[in-house]
Amino acid sequence: MLAAVRSATVFGVEGRPVTVEVHVSTGLPGFLIVGLPDEACRESRDRVRAAILSSGLVWPSAKIIVNLAPSSQRKGGSGLDLAIAVGFLAANGQVPVETVESLGFIAELGLDGSLRAVAGVAPMVAAMPDSTSVVALASFREAQGVAGDRVRVAGTLREVVDALNAEAPWPSPPEGEFVDDEPQLPDLADVRGQPLARLGLEVAAAGGHHLLLVGPPGSGKTMLARRMTGLLPALTPEISLAATMVHSAAGVRLPSGGMVRRPPFRAPHHSSSMVALVGGGSVGLRPGEISLAHGGVLFLDELGEFAPAVLDGLRQPLEEGVIRLARARASAALPAKFLLVAATNPCPCGGGPPGACECDEVARLRYLRRLSGPLLDRFDLRVGVARTTVDDLLATGGGEATSIVGARVAAARAKAIERIGTLNANISPARLDELAPLHADARKRLRDELERDSLTGRGYHRIRRVARTIADLCDGGDLVLDEHVVLALSLRVKLSVSSRERVA
Amino acid sequence: MSCPPEAYVAALAGFRNMSVHRLSALLRHHAPEEAWAVVLGEQPTSGLVAQVLAKAEIRASWRRCATERPPEQVWQRCLDLGLTVVPLGDPRFPAGLVNDRLPPPVLFARGDLALLAGRRVAIVGTRNATSGGRETARRLGHGLAAAGVHVISGLARGIDGWAHRGALAAANAFDACTADGRGRPIGIVASGHDVIYPREHADLWTAVGEVGLLLSEAPPGTAPEAHRFPLRNRIVAALAEVVVVVESRERGGSLITAGEAVDRSIPVMAVPGPVDRRSSAGTNRLICDGATPALAVDDVLIALSYQHGRSAVVAADLRPRPRGSDLAVYRVVAEDARTIDGVALALGLSLVDAAMCLARLESTGWIAQADGWFESVGSPFR
Repeated sequence: MLAAVRSATVFGVEGRPVTVEVHVSTGLPGFLIVGLPDEACRESRDRVRAAILSSGLVWPSAKIIVNLAPSSQRKGGSGLDLAIAVGFLAANGQVPVETVESLGFIAELGLDGSLRAVAGVAPMVAAMPDSTSVVALASFREAQGVAGDRVRVAGTLREVVDALNAEAPWPSPPEGEFVDDEPQLPDLADVRGQPLARLGLEVAAAGGHHLLLVGPPGSGKTMLARRMTGLLPALTPEISLAATMVHSAAGVRLPSGGMVRRPPFRAPHHSSSMVALVGGGSVGLRPGEISLAHGGVLFLDELGEFAPAVLDGLRQPLEEGVIRLARARASAALPAKFLLVAATNPCPCGGGPPGACECDEVARLRYLRRLSGPLLDRFDLRVGVARTTVDDLLATGGGEATSIVGARVAAARAKAIERIGTLNANISPARLDELAPLHADARKRLRDELERDSLTGRGYHRIRRVARTIADLCDGGDLVLDEHVVLALSLRVKLSVSSRERVA
Repeated sequence: MSCPPEAYVAALAGFRNMSVHRLSALLRHHAPEEAWAVVLGEQPTSGLVAQVLAKAEIRASWRRCATERPPEQVWQRCLDLGLTVVPLGDPRFPAGLVNDRLPPPVLFARGDLALLAGRRVAIVGTRNATSGGRETARRLGHGLAAAGVHVISGLARGIDGWAHRGALAAANAFDACTADGRGRPIGIVASGHDVIYPREHADLWTAVGEVGLLLSEAPPGTAPEAHRFPLRNRIVAALAEVVVVVESRERGGSLITAGEAVDRSIPVMAVPGPVDRRSSAGTNRLICDGATPALAVDDVLIALSYQHGRSAVVAADLRPRPRGSDLAVYRVVAEDARTIDGVALALGLSLVDAAMCLARLESTGWIAQADGWFESVGSPFR
């Protein structure tokens, strides 16, 4: 009267296999789940019983013990419902034990016996590479993306039981191959004027440089940022898989194709908590926004309004491309390689042309100080965005479309990857002279900037990387020219903190 | 007790609730030591002081102040800081303030009080200066000091600070033997000499005290309370022969200074600016109301009727003149502050060309950048 059924839970972005052992014996009737289930998991007891009775199956008056192995590991969520039900039916002789051995079951049960989708199907399926997975209809695409044809679907528990008893074939998966229902991305052609900010987007996309947009409210910072993902090339298969795992684990809706193929765009509000951004939670360590932005763009609007601790939490993943979360019982490494795009006002009132600012210098300093320091150092590009005047709106037509700029970006990225195997933003300072050699004029200009104290040592390296990207975009040779450096300097606006200026 | 009378005045000036009026009334009727006794209630008095002392809470507060900061201690602090304490009536007391409507009962000075016998111009303006305004203030301060005029200002952020930076540069640019003919900075501050405000002006504060003169109405330890700044402004106005407002919004401390100057029949000059700029709203209004426009250092010197031996023109402008497309870009920027986008669109230039021109102009010092905006630098005062 014993059966063991395979299933999985999700931890971070990884699936962890779980064996559901069910023992049915005579004795005082009861139903007990052991093996560190969390609240949602323990409640599956009642769902399973109701589902079995609604499906016209038999619930005997017996002692039923369910063990979730490995028993020392906490398990959460409702994805084990189906495995528990099937395990019970096998142990009770209502389905043959041998047919369930090669299968894994991942679905939540409704009281009427229907199968429901759960979060994390993709990593859970991936955790059972030797089994064919049985999932809810709605989870099919997600599971198929990872497991190919090792997937069976069913709408109800009854259908599962009939298929296991060979009384009916497995229900066929949903019809309609791959409808691309992803919404059309906004196009750069909609942006009028703003040539500098457009260049900033292009350079950021081509070189993988983090971008800070500085400008008054209404200058189009958010509009520009939303057009960033359109410039990035489609995800490579590995990154696509990793991004799919993250989305699945976090329970974020996947595109109907089942895989995340386009770079994601995440824009968490500035009231977001640390855990929401970097990930965490009591049982499963749910991936945060920075992991959801893996392979794409993380957009932080009103950067200065985020809690300082939250922003500091971004520093380590920005360096390493991965966030390591550790808890007392477990730890996980979640992917978090994203392009950071942030927007901020130059001062509390929003600023504008010189003289328009209404803030006193203390308020201004305090505002900039929230941004300053290590995080501000991570931005290679600091682009000033001014409000477009009516003249500009009327004088200029729409700019280049995303497809044209995107093609330049793709070419520049290919060039960089051919040269160094990675994007220009990752060139180490030691290799700059070799990979981004400067023309004599460019060298002189940078020396002047350093001597005038308008460029720091770290800023110097950033300018050189950005200039490298600009040279690649301009289809220049291996040498970085003066004009590339000048443009790079233009993409690094000076935030005026006049009190720093010394006595004459 | 071995305290000079000034020690008592210094201590009294530091009392809470001790306004200029009250201290003046007290010292008008009593000698300093006697005034001390009056405040402690050991001696009878009359008039305003008696009225004030009738209030129990003020009596209590003054007694507390008297025990917390006795004259010996205040005096020692003044000596430690190297301050000269000049009560009203002292021969060293600035002549311009003796017959003022509201003369300060006592002044705390660091530096050379004799400077107040020289020619003096006050340069004041907003704390939120544009980079153009700062440059104007700096050049004006430099030009006046080079011509031998002392520059009075309030050591505030923005225009005040830059006027003094300019004056200091002129005063320091020559060695000791020729520097005698140079104007010096005279700073009038609202807090005590040991309470530096704003903090970022600590260097400037020290330099003005060493090279020029630093004056305060408040004894050491006095915090920069808001009500002290308008009072400070009256001293700035009263000590100047001409008050120049460089940049001011429609309201602000520099307009208070201008008002104080008008009340004292001291000429007020203002640097005009574009009519639609908030940063020039106050100065343009002053000109409408009859202030003389100040377009160059010479205008100020003429207002002083000043026969200066040396040329006020600092030096020939050594910046290479912009040419070609640079000149076109400079003209556009000189018209109004622009972003790179603005320059590129106005002239139909590509972003690269606009950036190259702006970079050349910035490196030669014709324009300055802040927050992505480019402004022309200093054509009026070159």
